[in-house]
Amino acid sequence: MAEHGALLQCRVCSHLSHPPRQLKRFEVMHCPRCGARVKFAQQSNSVEVTWALLIAAAILYIPANMLPIMSVYMLGAGQPDTIITGVYHLLEAGQWPLALIVFVASIVVPLLKLFTLSFLLISIQRRSRWRQYDRMRLYRITEYVGRWSMVDVFVIAILVGLVQFGNLARVDANLGSLSFAAVVVLTMFAARTLDEHLIWDITRQEEQQNA
Amino acid sequence: MSVSAEPIACQECGQLHRYRPVAPGKTANCSRCGAVLYRNRPNMLDAVLALTLAGLTLFVLTNVFPLLGLRAQGAEQELHLLGASLAFWDQGYPILAGLIILNIIVFPLFELLTLLVVVLTIRYRWRSNMAIFLFRWMRELKPWGMLEVFMLGVLVAVVKLGDLATLIVGAAFWSFAGLILTMAAATALLDPFSVWRALEKKHG
Ligand SMILES: [Zn+2]
Repeated sequence: MAEHGALLQCRVCSHLSHPPRQLKRFEVMHCPRCGARVKFAQQSNSVEVTWALLIAAAILYIPANMLPIMSVYMLGAGQPDTIITGVYHLLEAGQWPLALIVFVASIVVPLLKLFTLSFLLISIQRRSRWRQYDRMRLYRITEYVGRWSMVDVFVIAILVGLVQFGNLARVDANLGSLSFAAVVVLTMFAARTLDEHLIWDITRQEEQQNA
Repeated sequence: MSVSAEPIACQECGQLHRYRPVAPGKTANCSRCGAVLYRNRPNMLDAVLALTLAGLTLFVLTNVFPLLGLRAQGAEQELHLLGASLAFWDQGYPILAGLIILNIIVFPLFELLTLLVVVLTIRYRWRSNMAIFLFRWMRELKPWGMLEVFMLGVLVAVVKLGDLATLIVGAAFWSFAGLILTMAAATALLDPFSVWRALEKKHG
């Protein structure tokens, strides 16, 4: 992905290899060591694909928060919960550490991911040289924390699987959980498709021009 | 191939370096971003093999025994790992059920089996095509294995249900905790750079 003069680096195994002399526009090169696809900077569509995934995630973020994610029935009565009412019920019950975990994992992390990845994309498109090291750290953190958003989906799965006592007590899953899981999956793909080496490429190009 | 001249690039920022052997127990870091380039860990393979075998045992135990139980008004409900994965299926969300099965059963098992094949391949100098294929996909799929995230989910659910009814923590809960620790240790110990080099030497 990143180019070092004549050498290309594989993103999976970091193996460096020489590209073929001539490569047509849509020709694909595979890493000689691990077989993963290696892309050239000039044919990289990382920025466009990441934008597409991010926009899809941002759109789905709305139903994920508006629609109920699960419904709890006690003695026949009950009501559907959205993510935010779920957090509110936890606060009401005095379980604020739990409320905090769910709030951060389900609301803060996905939002931060949408904003951070957009910020990184814009800074790459503007060929910014501003604090490249910090931006790369930001990318790593964003990439790492994204998967923890799945915790709410897992909690629903556990509750639905465990609380099935007919009219006495029952938990059902609702459509919001599907939208929410889709947001998590899409932002995870977005973090993956964003080629973080693009953050450094502007310096590398200048180094090569000056050399 | 002369060892000293081999160029390598930092996985994090792409900075170019030359490979130089480091003393046992030492680490080589990137000069620009500080990320670990490679380590010299003399007994890495044996330790990873031991952890992988322990992990596979714990994986089987975790799937055989119930994870949680709930008792309410005389009725009792048990939940296995597979049951938690399939809960969404019964509710009419097969895609979500599939995603969870991948997250907590398929990918973790794939990771353990890959580690086993990779370590044995390097140790007994087998042909490395299979190990290379598996290791590549294990590295690519790593973020999608979510055992520790699921564990946090279990803890949240336990606290949530605590007031509602009598909760029974099953045997699988403890093997599951052990499995997470074992896999984290294996990941921390394994140096991808050394693995790729070892796999490469056997087969062009
Ligand atoms: Zn490679």
